[in-house]
Amino acid sequence: MTILNESGIPDVLPPLHAVNGLAERLADILIVVAGTQVEAHLVQSLPDAPSPNLPPSRRNPRVVFAVIDPGDPPQQGLLASRIVEGAAGFRGTGLVLLVAGRTAESLGVDAAFEARLVARKLDLPVEVVNPDAPREVPDILSSDLEDSFLAALVNLCPKRKTSDLVETSAPAKRGGLFGGLLGRGTEASDSDGGRPVVLLGGIHSPGAAQTLAAELSRAGVEVAGSVPGSGIGELPPLGEGTVVAVMDPNLTSAASVAERRGATVVKTLMPVGVDGTARFVQDVAGEAGSRTSEVARARSAWEELGVLRNRIRGKRIFFTGDTGLEIPLARFLADAGAVVLEVGAPRLDRRFLAAELQALGPDVDVVVSPDYRGQTNRIDESRPDVVISSPGLHLPLVARGHLCRSPRDFLEAGPYGYGGARRILELLVLTMERAQSLDSLNL
Amino acid sequence: MKLLRGVYEGPHSHGILRVAASVRGVHALLRALPGEAYFRTLYAASERTGEMAPVTLSPLREGPDDSKAPGNLARDLSGVVRRHPKTEILILARSEASLLSGEGIPAALPEVEGTARTPRLVTFPWERPGMRETEAAELALEDLIRSRMHDRPERSPYPTVNLFGPPIFGPGAAAEYAEAERLLDMIGVEVNARVPLGANTGDLGQLPRAWANVLLYREVGESATLYLQDEFGMPRVMTPMIGAAGTGAVLRALGELCQLDPKSVQRTIWAELARTSKLPWYARLEPPETFQNRRVAIFGDFTYPLGLGYALAREVGLQIITCGTYLTHLERDFLFHANTFTERAFVEDDPEEVAARIEAAEPDLVIGTHLEEDVADSFGVPFLPLCPPVTNRPFVGRPLMGYAGSSVLADELDKVLRGKRVEPTGEAGIQWTDEALQEVSEVPLFLRGRARRLAEERARRQGSGEVTREIFLESRS
Repeated sequence: MTILNESGIPDVLPPLHAVNGLAERLADILIVVAGTQVEAHLVQSLPDAPSPNLPPSRRNPRVVFAVIDPGDPPQQGLLASRIVEGAAGFRGTGLVLLVAGRTAESLGVDAAFEARLVARKLDLPVEVVNPDAPREVPDILSSDLEDSFLAALVNLCPKRKTSDLVETSAPAKRGGLFGGLLGRGTEASDSDGGRPVVLLGGIHSPGAAQTLAAELSRAGVEVAGSVPGSGIGELPPLGEGTVVAVMDPNLTSAASVAERRGATVVKTLMPVGVDGTARFVQDVAGEAGSRTSEVARARSAWEELGVLRNRIRGKRIFFTGDTGLEIPLARFLADAGAVVLEVGAPRLDRRFLAAELQALGPDVDVVVSPDYRGQTNRIDESRPDVVISSPGLHLPLVARGHLCRSPRDFLEAGPYGYGGARRILELLVLTMERAQSLDSLNL
Repeated sequence: MKLLRGVYEGPHSHGILRVAASVRGVHALLRALPGEAYFRTLYAASERTGEMAPVTLSPLREGPDDSKAPGNLARDLSGVVRRHPKTEILILARSEASLLSGEGIPAALPEVEGTARTPRLVTFPWERPGMRETEAAELALEDLIRSRMHDRPERSPYPTVNLFGPPIFGPGAAAEYAEAERLLDMIGVEVNARVPLGANTGDLGQLPRAWANVLLYREVGESATLYLQDEFGMPRVMTPMIGAAGTGAVLRALGELCQLDPKSVQRTIWAELARTSKLPWYARLEPPETFQNRRVAIFGDFTYPLGLGYALAREVGLQIITCGTYLTHLERDFLFHANTFTERAFVEDDPEEVAARIEAAEPDLVIGTHLEEDVADSFGVPFLPLCPPVTNRPFVGRPLMGYAGSSVLADELDKVLRGKRVEPTGEAGIQWTDEALQEVSEVPLFLRGRARRLAEERARRQGSGEVTREIFLESRS
């Protein structure tokens, strides 16, 4: 594995586009995007999950724009009172999310202050998300807003003190959020010293947390809950003594907020692919105080994938980079026998992804801040079998005769767990089969 | 500051980029925050040609400028010159974040390596934060044309005109130009240049060759054609080319300007009316009841609502109950024209207020932008997305201008008006309690119609003669 820095302009979908998806995912949220015409137009023009052939954007009524006239910046408190007025029209709002970036800031909007004001008046949690917030590692990923949003949700989780710990480990409360669901709620009293596990991520695949909770409970660990989970009211307690298992590679700030609250963030592979899931389950279980070995399970999972792996073997895959999911995806596909030509990483947090980077095969090149023009040239030269491309490059690449898939397609299919590994391979095989059948047409 | 549920226009930089991406040989450098670069994605998705947008981002970054990463404006400009050697005009568009940061901009460009040729740098000193897309597109087009006016080209020996139409992303933009060109060709007038969509930088310098300018889309062509009128004495034709009457007026005016034989122009018009233009035919075929007392609300930019308003009011005989625009900077012009066919003309750029106007007008048909779709839907009224911005992107562009466009309009009307008779408005029999009405007033306007309908349905299902607060709340949960 080599890491190169190209210092170029990566083709990344603006993180703000995710606003639509967040509103879709959590029903009781009201999102206020504060800024100028730019932010409002951007959010409105880009749909929540842009497939390259993007369907007209669905407008969610729970996304509203506070468009500031730069010639007449608002007085302090005006934004807050507008939000309070606006919120009256929405029944059952559980959380107000104020998205205010650098433009709003430079127009003199103190988002934190306004948020406090709204919170006091509405008696609701109000969180501020700054899409342009400086990060430890510069550059952007298209999934940055999801990260900031989950960080805000982690902040909203009820705190957990040492005294609660004793209480929650009492048998009556065992079982966790998914315990009842899986029908093995109360009998799990064997792991007495067990610490509660909270899953973090999976915002684009609603069923993902359940899948992983099932895997973990097979290993004897009960999951106390997940963030974002199903709603603001059902956030699990998260604080000292909680074990946080991160599911997505882009969640750096959410993870560091959890750490700041005293939770233990497990440093392991993302639960993507067979080995990723196995390591994830093993390490999370270990941190939660239950020893388990996933070796047998992983072996049988690989065996079950045999047929699909044969279809993938030797196929050359190029990742242009967009959401951050590319790194675990590349790791899994390389393990499954594909040849990964290049993995673009618009932003790469080497510390956070240390485990992932270590597990990448020796032949995989990671290009940090890739330049989209350079990438296009390299793709033209190497002619990969499949390009996992960002939305901006998708059409130009298809027009040049490359077979493309968006990393978001994988996110939506649910790439997590052993079942997710199969879905990843199936998606790729389907893509290639369809391309073959189209190629065989005599036009 | 207002809370809006949507915006009709983008920021000024978007307007500049739309013009820049319409003209071949122009490359634009967008100075903006890294998270503001969405033009390329939009371009790929809405053009669907597979070409890459001629736009490069120069990211506005904080921190010391010691790395080689993009972000230094001067270096990024020379980078574009190096990477795109065929560029003849390089446009610098700055986002609001860049304008607000107060950074300076370089004045000159380096030459292209090995050619001793320097592309022209066009910057826009009038850019200011808060400016809107359409106004900026208009000014940018004028500046772009001015930058190519070095000498006075000879007037062409035979009659030619320039078409000033919509820029890229306009719905069916290319089809509008094509239809106009087809008609001009029939009366014997050649098109000198299509501006901005389809022109190249050379065409811009040759605009004064033409005898006249035809303004298909006044929103973007206005100040450029005024400049050509003042500088080169070029007359302009401004009637919207929508509907059979509007198209005929444009062709006759052009015939006069180009000293064509009026009889032969008229013959062409008659032939087209017989062959292509189906709107007058449709209006004659349908029984009068189809259109009688049918109230239409139209909302959009400038050319389309005005042109459609004229055509529907005069040629079809529908009642234009209200007509509005979101282009606040064209307010006086718009009201002047719209008042000739409607009593309720208005200018408004807040979708919620527009929804309120439409609701108050109680139309039977709404014609508007994609933001009006929900409104029409919520009142259970048919809707035609005929005014930009719209979100549908058909592979085959259909014109709305010219004679072919009038037939498209006839088809659209036929689809939504056929077989439907005006129903008595207002649900008889169902009453609303005061508390329930109080609750309704808290629902956002564009959802109100649907909320009302659902509550009344629920009341009817429960066999209740009135909608109480409880029924209303149940219907919403």
